[in-house]
Amino acid sequence: MHLRRPRGRRIAALLLWAWLGPVATATALEIDPTHLAADDIAATQGLVDDVLPRLPRAWRDGLPAGLVLEWRDGLPAHVAGRRVGDRILLPRRLLEAWRARDAVATEDEPLRAVRHALVHELAHAYDRAQRNALSGDPRLRDLAGWQRSAFAIAGRRSRNDFVVRTPDPYELRRPSEFVAVNLEHFVLDPAYACRRPALHRHFSAHFGVPVSTQACAPGLPFLDVDAEAGEAALLALDPARVYEVDYLLAEGNTQAMSRWGHSMLRLVVCAPGRMPGPECRLDLAHHRVLSFRAFVGDVQISGWRGLTGSYPSRLFLLPLDQVIEEYTRVELRGLQSMPLRLQKHEIASLLERAAQLHWSYDGRYYFIGNNCAVETWKLLHDGVPRLADASLASITPTGLLRKLEREGIADRRPLADADEARRLGYYFEPASARYEALFAVAREALALPQRDAAAWLALSPGERARWLPQADLKASAALLVLENAAQRRQQLLLRDELKRRYLGHAVPDDAAAALEALKAWLGDTSFVSRPAELAGGGYGLPQSAERGRIVAEARARVARLRDQDASMRRDLERWLPGDQREALRGIEANLETIGARLRTLASDAS
Amino acid sequence: MSRLILAGVLLAFSVPALAGSFAGSSAGASSAGSSASSDSSSGDDKIVVQAREDAASFVASDGRIRGAQLEAALRHLRETDQAARRASDMQLAQAILAR
Repeated sequence: MHLRRPRGRRIAALLLWAWLGPVATATALEIDPTHLAADDIAATQGLVDDVLPRLPRAWRDGLPAGLVLEWRDGLPAHVAGRRVGDRILLPRRLLEAWRARDAVATEDEPLRAVRHALVHELAHAYDRAQRNALSGDPRLRDLAGWQRSAFAIAGRRSRNDFVVRTPDPYELRRPSEFVAVNLEHFVLDPAYACRRPALHRHFSAHFGVPVSTQACAPGLPFLDVDAEAGEAALLALDPARVYEVDYLLAEGNTQAMSRWGHSMLRLVVCAPGRMPGPECRLDLAHHRVLSFRAFVGDVQISGWRGLTGSYPSRLFLLPLDQVIEEYTRVELRGLQSMPLRLQKHEIASLLERAAQLHWSYDGRYYFIGNNCAVETWKLLHDGVPRLADASLASITPTGLLRKLEREGIADRRPLADADEARRLGYYFEPASARYEALFAVAREALALPQRDAAAWLALSPGERARWLPQADLKASAALLVLENAAQRRQQLLLRDELKRRYLGHAVPDDAAAALEALKAWLGDTSFVSRPAELAGGGYGLPQSAERGRIVAEARARVARLRDQDASMRRDLERWLPGDQREALRGIEANLETIGARLRTLASDAS
Repeated sequence: MSRLILAGVLLAFSVPALAGSFAGSSAGASSAGSSASSDSSSGDDKIVVQAREDAASFVASDGRIRGAQLEAALRHLRETDQAARRASDMQLAQAILAR
């Protein structure tokens, strides 16, 4: 026996002792020997000695005195453990599982179940003894998903909508169960730090232990759907590549549901190779938008559904270019983009929170109580602790913006100079703001008899067609924008009319086949709003193995959508009423004419 | 218009963005891939295509209407193409329209 160890090792051992504390199993958790044979007692002691040293010292020290572990027959089959007073009751079958453990295979399922059951009860014991220091903590409840209501008087919402990719649905019961379930994984699952990083940091700070440096899959995963290009990829977003986050406001229009506008967040992601800085503001193709909505391809929401709360509210990551197209060119609404004054680490925690929502949150949309402004506020509130202290809650997008400005968080100054704001992408004007100026150019060049852009667009495509071949370069450029407007308007009219009529009536038998095709199509697109569908198992942020699966699954589904789409397009041609088919074809022909003319004229000019 | 027609038309227009895009898209089938940054689908062409309406407005208005998507494309062209550095904004906007 060595009486003296090398000095360095002695110090290390001392430090380790100070860190983990003495493994004082006997005092921290006693064993009730009733009905236990000697080897049962030894096995139980083995379990206690296996589990207790895994707990942070502050946890062990915070356990109530006189805690007793008892094996109990007759607990209901679904119960993994129970606590009555200072006794922890575990089902006897777990003792058998523990005794039957294979000393070689350390990670088999029964073994896992025993450890989890004991840690779960020890978590309850600690939390209760510390007067709910964990489960009663407002920050913990924010992170867990019992979110604040937008109305201060209502306190917290009683429902927790973080129902997807949960390690154990039991955690959603109440905050104390959430704490117990999550502490199981905090202690026993090395991947917890990667899957629920914010909670891992929260618990680590509470117990005063270092944050695990375990290597996680790189970046924050988001399903990156580019609807315009018909692509779906897995983006691993590196928060360090995000120069700024803007509050992105789609201005209201006269439609009932969009009168108040729409709140979003714009991520100013730098192009690969560019140092994060103001130059990134123009890397528009790389910018992404976080938007709470029901479906990827539909920005309009029916008022009735909104009021009854039957619309889901999910967090999408969309390309900024798609958002510009949808709002400024299809809906003819302006977009205001105001930088938020956030620190680097605040941007990182905000994006981490957004990723958590993207994979786990399945909320319900309510016109007043849980609309886009409320969702965006909650994301800021829960993602950036500093903002939780500011008074920001608002039920309208403009109201939230006003409060963000008043608190000095949103910076509206870049919008002061209108021309510069348009040029640098702080303001995207509605396409309609340009129509009159562009029409005036064409009218002058071609001596058009129409009074204004509206009159021009009211013509049939065939009537517009005869002017196109005479247009010069400037007039052709102007007419291109106007013809695109005509096309979008025609598609929108057709869609809204059909939706209105279709949703308003029962579908008769002769449409059953088509309806089945529609359902299949919608089923195949659902992964876009519930990306967790692609991942298979696992909880929290998807890690390497799941990411591979997500990529493969997204690829397969996109391929299927492309196939279906081709055949649906062919059917559509047949089903379209004659006049509407003619109108769409006429517009397409006009766009061909203008395109060909532009190629000729512009090549000559430049 | 019969119900069947309604349903059939709805197929293609109820999910406009996805539906509209999967048709007509020339992108390859290998688009669903993992990317370490956000550069998976933002090649040169895309930046220029997105700038087309801004470029048309710019050309038609003698440069008075100047949108951010054009600004982004101008900068991108100059960063990646020697010849573009010597061209004026108007020449580049016309080149975008000539594609």
